[in-house]
Amino acid sequence: MSTSFAEYAWLVPVFPLAAFAILTAMGKGARNIGPWIGMIGTLASLVLSLCIAFERMTDNADDYSKSIDWLQVGSLKLSAGFEVTNLTSLMLVIVTLVSFLVNVYSQGYMKDDERISTFYAYVALFTSSMLGLVLSDNLLTFYMFWELVGVCSFLLVGFWYNKPEAKAAAKKAFIVTRIGDLGLLIALLLLFWYMPDHALDFTTIHNVFSTPGGVISVGITTLIALLIFLGAVGKSGQFPLHTWLPDAMEGPTPISALIHAATMVAAGVFLVARTFPIFEASDAAMTTVAVIGAFTAIFAATIGLAQNDIKRILAYSTVSQLGYMMLALGVGSVSAAMFHLFTHAFFKALLFLGAGSVIHGAHTQDIREMGGLGKTMKITAWTFGIGALALSGIPPFAGFWSKDAILAAALDQNGILFAVGAIAAFFTALYMARLYFLVFTGKSKQDHHAHESPSSMTIPLIVLAILSVVVGFVDTPFKSWLSEWLTGEAPEHHGSGIVMVVSAAVGLLGIYIGWLVFVKGTVRRDAVSSRAPALVKTLERKYYVDELYDLLLVKPLRSLGKALQAFDDYIVDGVVRLAGYSTSALGRLNSRLQSGQVQAYALTALIGIVILALAIAGRRFW
Amino acid sequence: MFNFNIDFSGEFFAFFSLAICAIVGAVLAINFTKVVHIVMSLAFTFVALAGLYILLNAEFVAFVQVLLYVGAVTILMIFGIMMTKHDGEGQEPARPLLETLAAIGCLCLFGILFFAIRNAEFPAQVAPLPDDNTRAIGLELFSRYAVPFELISVLLTVAFIGAVALAKREEDPQ
Amino acid sequence: MTMLASYLTLAAVLFCVGLYGVLTKRNAIVVLLCIELMLNAANLNLIAFSKYGVIPSLTGQIFSLFTITVAAAEAAVGMAILIVWYRNRVTVNVDEFDELRG
Repeated sequence: MSTSFAEYAWLVPVFPLAAFAILTAMGKGARNIGPWIGMIGTLASLVLSLCIAFERMTDNADDYSKSIDWLQVGSLKLSAGFEVTNLTSLMLVIVTLVSFLVNVYSQGYMKDDERISTFYAYVALFTSSMLGLVLSDNLLTFYMFWELVGVCSFLLVGFWYNKPEAKAAAKKAFIVTRIGDLGLLIALLLLFWYMPDHALDFTTIHNVFSTPGGVISVGITTLIALLIFLGAVGKSGQFPLHTWLPDAMEGPTPISALIHAATMVAAGVFLVARTFPIFEASDAAMTTVAVIGAFTAIFAATIGLAQNDIKRILAYSTVSQLGYMMLALGVGSVSAAMFHLFTHAFFKALLFLGAGSVIHGAHTQDIREMGGLGKTMKITAWTFGIGALALSGIPPFAGFWSKDAILAAALDQNGILFAVGAIAAFFTALYMARLYFLVFTGKSKQDHHAHESPSSMTIPLIVLAILSVVVGFVDTPFKSWLSEWLTGEAPEHHGSGIVMVVSAAVGLLGIYIGWLVFVKGTVRRDAVSSRAPALVKTLERKYYVDELYDLLLVKPLRSLGKALQAFDDYIVDGVVRLAGYSTSALGRLNSRLQSGQVQAYALTALIGIVILALAIAGRRFW
Repeated sequence: MFNFNIDFSGEFFAFFSLAICAIVGAVLAINFTKVVHIVMSLAFTFVALAGLYILLNAEFVAFVQVLLYVGAVTILMIFGIMMTKHDGEGQEPARPLLETLAAIGCLCLFGILFFAIRNAEFPAQVAPLPDDNTRAIGLELFSRYAVPFELISVLLTVAFIGAVALAKREEDPQ
Repeated sequence: MTMLASYLTLAAVLFCVGLYGVLTKRNAIVVLLCIELMLNAANLNLIAFSKYGVIPSLTGQIFSLFTITVAAAEAAVGMAILIVWYRNRVTVNVDEFDELRG
């Protein structure tokens, strides 16, 4: 065919945008037809993305990009356009596939909500923005869509705005990511300042930073890289800007799956991958990325061990897995990071949708109140189990291969990072085992029996479970097809055999211990909490990070706000009131002069004459 | 500024005592509480001024002063006092702001006038005044100042007709 | 100090005392009297200049005659107005004549 699908890649974000427009225009009247419009929009994008991806896989075509001139101010020219590379086409498939499955799932989950068409409108807008972000060819439009994605996250987290926790969580999400966005904006401005011709598109960035001894000094490069990473830290929930992600679980579960597991949080990883030449040019930035990623991975995993809300455990798991992806980027392996992003999108979305199904059936989110759900909710239990095994890194599921790639790359670089990653993998398996056994096995703690969810909810679960099994095989140490496709070179594997054994062993160990504690009962459940209650309390309170931020940042800012408000009330308003008051006081004073008393008038005339005479006579003295 | 080169002649003593009388009369006039006392002290001032006019070789004016001011104006004022009721005598509420400002204004005005007087240069007199004062005034009045003389008479007529017209009681329309 | 300066100073003193009385006294009759005092001070000025001035002549004395006449006429008319006012308001206090208030 003479025309390639890549030329029509700009249509991919347009379908969901059209769905958003139609849903917004139809308003509340679209309760029944709204979900179908959303689904059709994302289905159209999915089909087109798959066509583009297959075309790239088979033809191995050159990268396609097209841009139009957007703004011209004097000699400054800004352009907007899209770019289809292997990396972006992979992300297109991920985003559209998960979005489509979430749309299908939401029809069952959100059926009883009366604002369902608004929900679908927001989800369509989010999908459109995320796809625009993926396809952007320069940093400026990327930043635009980045902000738009943040706005959609805010809207969707606060969807049930009657709940005060939801409102607070939405504000927190937006404000904390804003801190990261500020870093990205400053990086963008610095790039604009230093890049030749003020070019901001990714191709030029790649060219400028890939040549050694380039035009930009190492110090500035490190600064730009760190600021970009700050944006990624905010959006992907890395330490120290991770606090918004668990709270964002106040939103409906389908969007926790879509936004906070598969797509938006992956945007940070995607950003670093897109601007990777900048990071490669600065060793300090790479080390920072790797260290923060590793630290976040183990930090969030330990917190996840002590949480009791099913969605919060999965949220901390997301933070931890994103830490793995950042670790992979930090040690230089873009392909391992993108591979893990690819697999993580599927099994984390699966886990979240499964959790939604559990919540739908058990009407609670606290795992201590659940139990024995595996007997009545068979499909959910099986698919959730597959997702949990994938997350724990058990072969031959998808998570094993991608985590293995990361750990191998980490071992190449630094043994400590590898050790941290392995320990975090152990904790990952342990908390997932705890979650699974407490929820699905054992005796039911509830008096009513949970029933299985409708097929609109279980079919996406099944699809994602199949993907979680199969998808891992695209990049194994034996045949690293994905890495070659993404980066154009095959990664070297040193000691990959040891890594495979260690990661599998660690995962199995975690599941075994979990089985011992929660099913067999050989180790008492409160073995740790009775001996070290303070430790468990700290983990449960998330290392008191939220409290620390409240003390250091929120309270001072609030008091500053109060002080400024007092300033505004008393001083600024005071000046205005003074102006009015002084005018009326002057009027009152003047009315006293109009007393009708002749002697007062005569006195005024006398004083006037005296002053006049003094002024005229005194003129010869100065 | 205050270089007092006074030659102690008889004229000076006469002037000084008459001036004291005038000032005392004026100051007492504004300090008495009863109106009748005020009128009396002011009449005393007028008489002292008449004496000063005589000292200034203006005998006719002194005579007219006594006749008109002491005789007519003072009596007019006394008639006014008799016809009006003044129960609030001596119970005047103090108006401190007005009185203070008035005092300051008057003092400043006096200061300005005094300063002007001190800094003015008065050349010595050239020719003495005629002895027969009254005759000379009469000659001037009916030759050079005849028109103002007639105008004054018109003014007086208008004034007294006006006063009568104003003060006339309104007749009942019967 | 020349004699002229003494007379002028005396006239200034009387004028200022009369002015203070005009501004301060409550009784309208007293105010009229103090106005007469001020006019007298002016007369004294005129007559002093007629004798000790730059060109001594009788002009000052004749002027002062006219001033006395006008003062007498004005006192009469003023008294008439006062009588009429008193007839209506039964008061001669100046601070109660506040028709011009506002």
